[in-house]
Amino acid sequence: MASKVKALKTNKFIPLLSGRQKRFEQEMARLPDMPDQAMVIAKALHPKKQFVKVEEVITRADDCKSFVLVPDTAKGTTALAYFGAGKYLSVFEEIEGMKITRAYSISSKPKDALDGKYMLTIKRVDGGLMSNYILDNWTVGTEVTVSAPEGHFEYQPLRDAKKVICIAGGSGITPFISMAGAIVDGDEDFEMTLLYGSRNKDAVLFYDELEELKKNEKINVVHVFSDPDADTSADGIEKGFITAELIKKYAPSDEAYSVFICGPQAMYDFLDKEIEKLGLAKKFVRHEMFGEFHDPKSQKDYPNDIPETVSITVTIQDVTKTVTGSTNDSVLQILEKNGISAPSRCRSGECGFCHTHLLSGSVYVPKHLEYRRLADFKFNCIHPCCSFPLSDLVINVPAAK
Amino acid sequence: MSKKYDVIVIGAGNGGLGAAATCAKAGLSTLLLEKHNLPGGSASSFVRGRFEFEPSLHELAGVGNPDDPGAIDETFKRFGADVDWIQHNSTFRLIVPAKEGDTDTFINENGVEVTIDARMPTGFENFARKLDEIVPGSYDSCMAAFDLSVRMYDAFNKLEQPLKIPTILKDVPDFMRITGHTLNETLDALGMPKKAQDIFNTYWCYMGVPGGIFDFLYYSLVLNSYTAAGTGIPKLRSHEMSLAVDKVIRDNGGDIWYNSEVTKVIMKNGKPAGVVINGEKEVYGSHFICNSHPNTTWSTLFEETEVPKKQLKMLNARKIAATLTTVYLGMDVTKEELGITDYSVFIAPDSDSDKQFEACQHLFNGFCIINCLNEILPDSTPAGTCQLFLTTMSFGDELKGVKPQDYKKLKTKVAEDLIDTCEKALNISIKPHIEEIEIALPPTFCRYLNTPYGTPYGYQLEKWDSMIPRTIQFEQDQPFDNFIFCGATQERGDGYGCAYYSGEKAANLTIKAIKKEGK
Repeated sequence: MASKVKALKTNKFIPLLSGRQKRFEQEMARLPDMPDQAMVIAKALHPKKQFVKVEEVITRADDCKSFVLVPDTAKGTTALAYFGAGKYLSVFEEIEGMKITRAYSISSKPKDALDGKYMLTIKRVDGGLMSNYILDNWTVGTEVTVSAPEGHFEYQPLRDAKKVICIAGGSGITPFISMAGAIVDGDEDFEMTLLYGSRNKDAVLFYDELEELKKNEKINVVHVFSDPDADTSADGIEKGFITAELIKKYAPSDEAYSVFICGPQAMYDFLDKEIEKLGLAKKFVRHEMFGEFHDPKSQKDYPNDIPETVSITVTIQDVTKTVTGSTNDSVLQILEKNGISAPSRCRSGECGFCHTHLLSGSVYVPKHLEYRRLADFKFNCIHPCCSFPLSDLVINVPAAK
Repeated sequence: MSKKYDVIVIGAGNGGLGAAATCAKAGLSTLLLEKHNLPGGSASSFVRGRFEFEPSLHELAGVGNPDDPGAIDETFKRFGADVDWIQHNSTFRLIVPAKEGDTDTFINENGVEVTIDARMPTGFENFARKLDEIVPGSYDSCMAAFDLSVRMYDAFNKLEQPLKIPTILKDVPDFMRITGHTLNETLDALGMPKKAQDIFNTYWCYMGVPGGIFDFLYYSLVLNSYTAAGTGIPKLRSHEMSLAVDKVIRDNGGDIWYNSEVTKVIMKNGKPAGVVINGEKEVYGSHFICNSHPNTTWSTLFEETEVPKKQLKMLNARKIAATLTTVYLGMDVTKEELGITDYSVFIAPDSDSDKQFEACQHLFNGFCIINCLNEILPDSTPAGTCQLFLTTMSFGDELKGVKPQDYKKLKTKVAEDLIDTCEKALNISIKPHIEEIEIALPPTFCRYLNTPYGTPYGYQLEKWDSMIPRTIQFEQDQPFDNFIFCGATQERGDGYGCAYYSGEKAANLTIKAIKKEGK
């Protein structure tokens, strides 16, 4: 049988070799046209950084403002990256010598990015370093650096039900404002019932905008006021808290629905128990990320006899420094408080952008923020944004980006 | 100025990791630079919800078994890299659904009308027997093809020594015959029935070139390595391999800087002398190993006038290889509930590999490989769930005319098309059970691999530019005497094992050059 191969001639081999070099020789000695459209899309959607300027400041409440951001062409940003409604921007700031970042959901709709506009809506948080700084310092003309749009809190038609109960608390309304805008523009296609928990009407953000949005047949808005004295006489207003009962009242009874939730930690703690009562499949319940975690020592599984302060020896590229910090702070916060710029995006453990080698020492990671890869455990890698030192550490951190 | 390194490796893909590990172990001062925050390039993983996905690996040929370790296992042992391999002992299942007008059809075990449904075992003998069962009369030609493949592999290994064409011609004349002919031409000469050839050629897509273009020798080596026994996967996704080699490099005194993108190569006296990192920091070295795609390297790291003319000509002569689309699905049911029975099913719109290739010139093509990790690793997802990984390929700038703002909808459309293809071919229901989904089209691969069209495959392995000519001409194709390429763009094309091989080879040439300089 193998002898059959003799039918093939041997004389094609040598020309194959000389032919290859000849083929090269015949070509033009210049760079081919680059880049292709796949690369153009990749770069347009995922710029390394975006330089923007505050164009307008809108006061939403005593403790909340929206900032309209436009490209800072002088710094080289000529267009803003398009995004899927629900994504966030990581804001880079330097506050009292600390280089820090925070993630804020984009509250403007995707189409506005094509007109060169993003809107971030920021609410004052007690002791919130970045939110207080922004509210006190950003004015028209302030120059700001932000990341590309990031995150996974988006509607996905192949995964999510056609009808979505969106539950917002406080500034957790921001991604839903963007999603509702995208529905109106035809960029997203689902039916939204927004259950928006506030103390009373005065505390509602985007009240007028929501009135406008709910004129769209795919959008329904229900305000839920917790203040017992709140006026709930108007249509579409409920009193109390967002409970399983209330969700059921507005959810379709004869078809599947998804639940999207965005709000403060306390709301998740309460709602998770309520949603469990609904018996929904896991795929139909989606949380936005938790945001930065504080006070690890309040956790039940936090170990005993941990020192108050520790030292961290950190190497970034060819620079090594040793700093000290409190065991109440995450590894990332300790680096930032010592003026060391480290990579970070979501600050909730999830995105893995801060992925770091832990060369010695041990850390505590709250269970609900454990998003590390399996091999990270085997090779001792951590996400500093949600890792709290339990001992002195030696770490190797990627350069900040 | 910071210290000067013996070797600077640009890019921590599989090739760059292999190169840096080899250099560091040889005692050279080594710096590995990577633009992302993780090692591995394609060899990584990502987490969505309660699922951790494998981004690119189907299976590794050359894992072998404890008694007979394969090439990749030996490489990792040589490095001292700690990876738990999980053995896998089947090759592929090929399903070609019936089209209108097909006559030779039957209803398969899934209740689907097909022209081919071939579930192929490992081992040459087993494979040939199975093939003969499906296409009577194909046994002899199949065994002859395997036999030829083994003999040619020995001849090929002689090529690794300084090449002596007359010796090869005398000792293994078939080598010259085979190397000058395509896969189809050779199987025709061996008298393999057409339908058996179609099944035999199923793995063409792993290297991105079909039977009419691919040379027999290389394809047969690929099929051989998957069939001979001993494919496998790392237990903790490919991220385990990359972190294991990362550790080897550090333990042997090498430096790895992540988020550190080389943005410029510094030239001195007409040769690379250093690199600029993230547009600001300069680092100098005497030798360079480049794991970045040559198209990207020459167009972004050098001024056009600094690029050797031959390298520019090569860019214009070579065809960019296939690029991928992948859909990752976290399912809220088990594989049994879903009706999945195989690790790896190839669903093709036509039985002929050249026609499959033709279909794959487009984004929507009816071609799909569906993998279920739980078949090999039952506990790779939480109880009551499983994960699926759908892959198709396309060629060229198929996104031409697509605006960034249209991309999200296009992604969903392509994913839906792929899922539909699988649902129909397997007669199963996927859509109602999708708990997590991530869709990667060529721009995703552009983002992470920084290659033209996002190709993970380098350049097309056409007959004139296939492994043998590339290997023989390797050194004359390198741009500077202190700058060597490695990775999927080099001799063996894509594949984890090929990339590691190329990294080790580039490192060994570098080590030799440095020793020579020392004298």
